[in-house]
Parts: sequence; C-alpha cells; structure tokens
Amino acid sequence: MNRHTKLAIFVAPFLMVIGYIGSDYFLEYQAEQTQLYQLEPDGPCYVLAEECVLKSNEFKINVLDKNGTTIVNSTFPLDAAILFLVDENDVSDAYALSMGENPYYWQSETPLRQRHLASKEKQKLRIIATIKGGKYISEFYSQR
Amino acid sequence: MENNHSYWRENLRLIFICLAIWFVVSFGFGLLLVEPLNEIRLGGYKLGFWFAQQGSIYTFVALIFWYSHQMNKLDKKHNVEES
Repeated sequence: MNRHTKLAIFVAPFLMVIGYIGSDYFLEYQAEQTQLYQLEPDGPCYVLAEECVLKSNEFKINVLDKNGTTIVNSTFPLDAAILFLVDENDVSDAYALSMGENPYYWQSETPLRQRHLASKEKQKLRIIATIKGGKYISEFYSQR
Repeated sequence: MENNHSYWRENLRLIFICLAIWFVVSFGFGLLLVEPLNEIRLGGYKLGFWFAQQGSIYTFVALIFWYSHQMNKLDKKHNVEES
C-alpha cells in the first residue's frame, strides 16, 4: 500500500463523520420548517368500518370511528391532530384530537358516526396532522 | 520549482474533484435530491434511499482507490514515485 492509498484511507473516515454531522444538522433544520404535505387515500375509505388509510410517501394514517370515538392512528408519532367534519354546505366543525395511549394514537368523541349515518352515502372530512412543524393535510370522503 | 508547482496544482485539482464527488453523492443524492431519486427503483430499493444508505459508501471506497491511482500516475509523470 503506497502513501497515497494510506492518506486517502486516513482521510475518508473524517469526511464520513463530517457528512454524518452535516446531514444531521440539515435534517433537523428541514424538520423544523413548516411544510405542507398532501395525504391521499390509499384505497377506498370506510371510516365507520375502521378501514380508511391516507398516505404520503412513508407516512400513513388510519382514520376510524369506534362507537362515537374517532381515532387517528399514524405510522410516526404526531404532535397534534385536528379533524374537520364538513357538511353539505361546506361548513366544517373542527375537533382537536387528544393523545391516546401514545403519540401514535389520537382520538376524540365526535358526531361523525351520527352524521355519517344520516348522510346519503358519503361524509366529507378534512384532517391536519402535525409532526415537528410539518403539516400533513387531506380532504377526503368516507363511504358508507 | 515549476515542476513542484505543477505537481501541487494537479494534486489540488484531484482533491477538489474528489470532494465534489463526495458532496454530490452524500449530500446531493442522499439528501437534497432524495425525493426525485426515490421515484427511480434500483433492485427494489428507492434510489435516493439507496444512495443515503449504501451508494455513498461504495462511492467513497471507490474514490479512495481512484485518488490513489491518479496520484500514482501523477507521481510517475513528475518522477517522484515511491521506489
């Protein structure tokens, strides 16, 4: 092994460490910026049947209703979650969900079930899920 | 003297090329361009993710040998190779 190979092998770990620290700073900075991401339904959405998944890349949330308690279950821990029930006149009522057993579960009692059952076929919903300043938003319909 | 100057200038050029490749592969492909690269799949893996996890390290190792090879050529050109 000649001197140049030795020098390159000696320098490489320092560059890797600088890269690691730089990436860490960059990702932390990026995570603190307020960013909006659109969640899209992953297949048909039936909130009352506990089958409604919204996704944006690796992030997924499941919106379901159990006996009047609306639950949001996410793949990453959330800082906050707000659910909006939208009526046929496009007027929305906001429900700030409370943390369940851990930051992956957020829930609140809402009139979603009654409204959904009273509606003809679908219920319009909106959601804002916050993670470290990033907001995941969606407007979606739950089918009966 | 001119020979030393030329040797050093070419050496610096090589170092800057290596640092540019290091930056593009680690920060560029692994962070800044990760989303568009993730649209491309490589053996089932998203390309941006692959660069961040493995591709950049393979490139770093390849850079070590490329730099060494180029420097050996430079040494020969300037008659300062190791005996």
